[in-house]
Amino acid sequence: MLCRVADSLFWMSRYIERAESAVRLLDVNLQILLETDRTSTSSIESFWKPIIASTGDLGLFKENYDELNSETAMDFLTFSDKNPSSVLSCIKFARENARMIRDQISEDMWEIINRLYLNLKRADHKKIWKSGPHDFYKEIREYSNLFQGVTDSTFLHGDGFDFIKAGMFLERADKTGQILKAKQLMDAEWAEKDETNPLAIAQWVSVLRACSAEEVYQQIYVTDIIPKNVIEFLVLSREFPRSILFSATKLQFHIHAISDCPTTHYSNEAERLCGKLIADLTYSSVNEIFERGLDDLLDHIHRTITKIAIELNNAYMFFPIIDPAQEQKQTTI
Amino acid sequence: MKFDSYKTDSFYDEMFEADGTVRPHYRNIYARLSELSTEEFFQKREAVDLSFLRQGITFTVYGDEEGTEKIFPFDLVPRIIPNTEWQHISKGLEQRIIALNLFLKDIYHEQKIIKDGIIPAHFIESAKHYRPEFRGVNVPKDIYIHICGTDLIRNDQGEYLVLEDNARSPSGVSYMLENREALKRAFPNFFQQAGVRTNLDYSKHLLKVLQHIAPENHNGPVIAVLTPGVYNSAYFEHCFLARQMGVDIVEGRDLVVRHDKVYMRTTRGLKPVDVLYRRVDDDFLDPKVFRKDSVLGVPGLVEAYRKGNLGLANSIGTGVADDKVIYAFVPRIIKYYLDQDPILSNVETWLPTEGNNLEFILENMNKLVIKAANESGGYGILIGPHASKKEIAQFKEAVQKDPRNYIAQTPISLSRHPTWCDKGFEGRHIDFRPYILYGEKVSIMPGGLTRVALKKGSLVVNSSQGGGSKDTWVLYGDT
Repeated sequence: MLCRVADSLFWMSRYIERAESAVRLLDVNLQILLETDRTSTSSIESFWKPIIASTGDLGLFKENYDELNSETAMDFLTFSDKNPSSVLSCIKFARENARMIRDQISEDMWEIINRLYLNLKRADHKKIWKSGPHDFYKEIREYSNLFQGVTDSTFLHGDGFDFIKAGMFLERADKTGQILKAKQLMDAEWAEKDETNPLAIAQWVSVLRACSAEEVYQQIYVTDIIPKNVIEFLVLSREFPRSILFSATKLQFHIHAISDCPTTHYSNEAERLCGKLIADLTYSSVNEIFERGLDDLLDHIHRTITKIAIELNNAYMFFPIIDPAQEQKQTTI
Repeated sequence: MKFDSYKTDSFYDEMFEADGTVRPHYRNIYARLSELSTEEFFQKREAVDLSFLRQGITFTVYGDEEGTEKIFPFDLVPRIIPNTEWQHISKGLEQRIIALNLFLKDIYHEQKIIKDGIIPAHFIESAKHYRPEFRGVNVPKDIYIHICGTDLIRNDQGEYLVLEDNARSPSGVSYMLENREALKRAFPNFFQQAGVRTNLDYSKHLLKVLQHIAPENHNGPVIAVLTPGVYNSAYFEHCFLARQMGVDIVEGRDLVVRHDKVYMRTTRGLKPVDVLYRRVDDDFLDPKVFRKDSVLGVPGLVEAYRKGNLGLANSIGTGVADDKVIYAFVPRIIKYYLDQDPILSNVETWLPTEGNNLEFILENMNKLVIKAANESGGYGILIGPHASKKEIAQFKEAVQKDPRNYIAQTPISLSRHPTWCDKGFEGRHIDFRPYILYGEKVSIMPGGLTRVALKKGSLVVNSSQGGGSKDTWVLYGDT
């Protein structure tokens, strides 16, 4: 497979997963807000601040909006083309990557991305906000699921498939970490560490929901929402498909499938880092995480994942970047 | 759908005779359209447009930030060519591509045609796309133009005339194929009885041509489509063809040359490439030989080609054959190499540099069409009868300054075709681009791209200037 194609498959998949994570985070928080009694401007502002800080760029937000409220937060995180992490931007980048490799992906895969992009681009922001964006966000998540299903059933399960899956799990591990990070930031913002506080609980519920984990959590722990359990579940579960350890393990599986190197050792830096992260998490207990500090662990995970992406690029995808102007100048007669 | 108020005016209309009777080969579609309600017609139109958009069958509009991708407007009424006419056209095209290839081989080797005084040397040497660097280089199987898109028009008598030969990298073939798909979906039941010849084999034939020019003694050559990249307006087509053939699509940066052999960079190391269907201009192909600043090309590619380690379609320097001045010589080229009269005529053309033509042209600017020799896409054209005094003056000055760079032609009143225009069917001018492939033998897909000037009265069919397209049917029979 061409290096450039591998790169596009990887990023196409990452961007779709990134968009889905952004949607999940936004959707649950908009719902949480409905269930709280915080209605004053300042409290709504401090509700959104950590979320925007964790996903995007607070400075960028302030440059583009006068006021931070639920509507502007939604707009910034969903539709803003100024925000490179907005859902629309992610889908646009995913589509750009897909377009570069139209000949490699299946017709169905392309059409799903293209339709999602066209729907997002044509969406009437005001109308969606007024009618409540839940259905709209649900649709985007469904597209993401559809894309994964169609990829699974129409795309060759060879190297290309492994690059797609590696991109998805790498992004997912990172984003689950980010959702936990957002909660950490919320705590800092509110200074309400009381775990019985209804809002604090609501926030933990939102963290679980953002990962589609609320019901499974209940089944496994059969108890109230306790931060320690939530963290154990979302970081260390070996079975839950959005936990960090699960995602890292899948990532390892797919990058080793590319190199044909067994997971007992490694053939490149990305594999070494990934194996080390998995070993670290596998042999950690949740108590140790608390001793170490969750913040510290999340930062470590984020840094490691960033490095893995760079090393994957060095190993497989490196190619020069060129100037689009020359591409356009070619005669088309 | 009614044609009651349809007027052919004084033009050659593809569907109707001058007295309003429907031509025999259009009777079926006429009947089908007549029984359709306006509402049904609109539904079909919308369905087709939406499917083009969803599939991303779009072209890029340069210099337009927002809507950078547009669908090529598609008209539901097909253009129909009866079998006898098609036989005539395809014989003429075959004759032409054979002659042009002999011409290219000659001018890149012995230049007999110059020595025999048929074409003055300065016309070849001053042609913008002539590549003197390539004299004496043998190309695989002596084929230079493998893929040709020859533009045909019909005059007021319905005679087919050649407007130009696109011998570098003609585009639009994907629209020919997608238009057919769209129309099949729009009129599924009608199609079976219409007797339309299929054009689906195009990609298979193209693949065969590319395999034919692979370096010698090669089993299962690796073929790839070389594209300038995703920002090129024809990118969709490059991908489309690569997919249809099942070959890789590559950009210059995906390729490297080692020891005069081209390789692509893959996740498992370098993989040799034997044949490139390139959609990158000569100038950008290889910064070592042509433009030094090109980042789209591959350093060393030309040397690999010279050494015979690579097949390239089309070959380098074919642009000299579609130069608008050389065009004027094509009837003489056919006569010279094949000793035959051209089956398809050229539009009557004057070269300012021959005889007293310059004087004649300058005096009759308002009655002629003046074209710059090296422009394409409908640019650099003066249509005398429709031009303002200012435009005529500008062209007059330009022709006087650089007569080699211009040609003058009789204006042709292009044939018209019923086309949906807001309120009903109206006649719009059309042209026709069939695609000719030259490998082991010449093959011409029955059909081609019919382009239509959607603006009332306009003669410019280019997509960049308000043109649309139609499906083109070649019938098994004459009705």
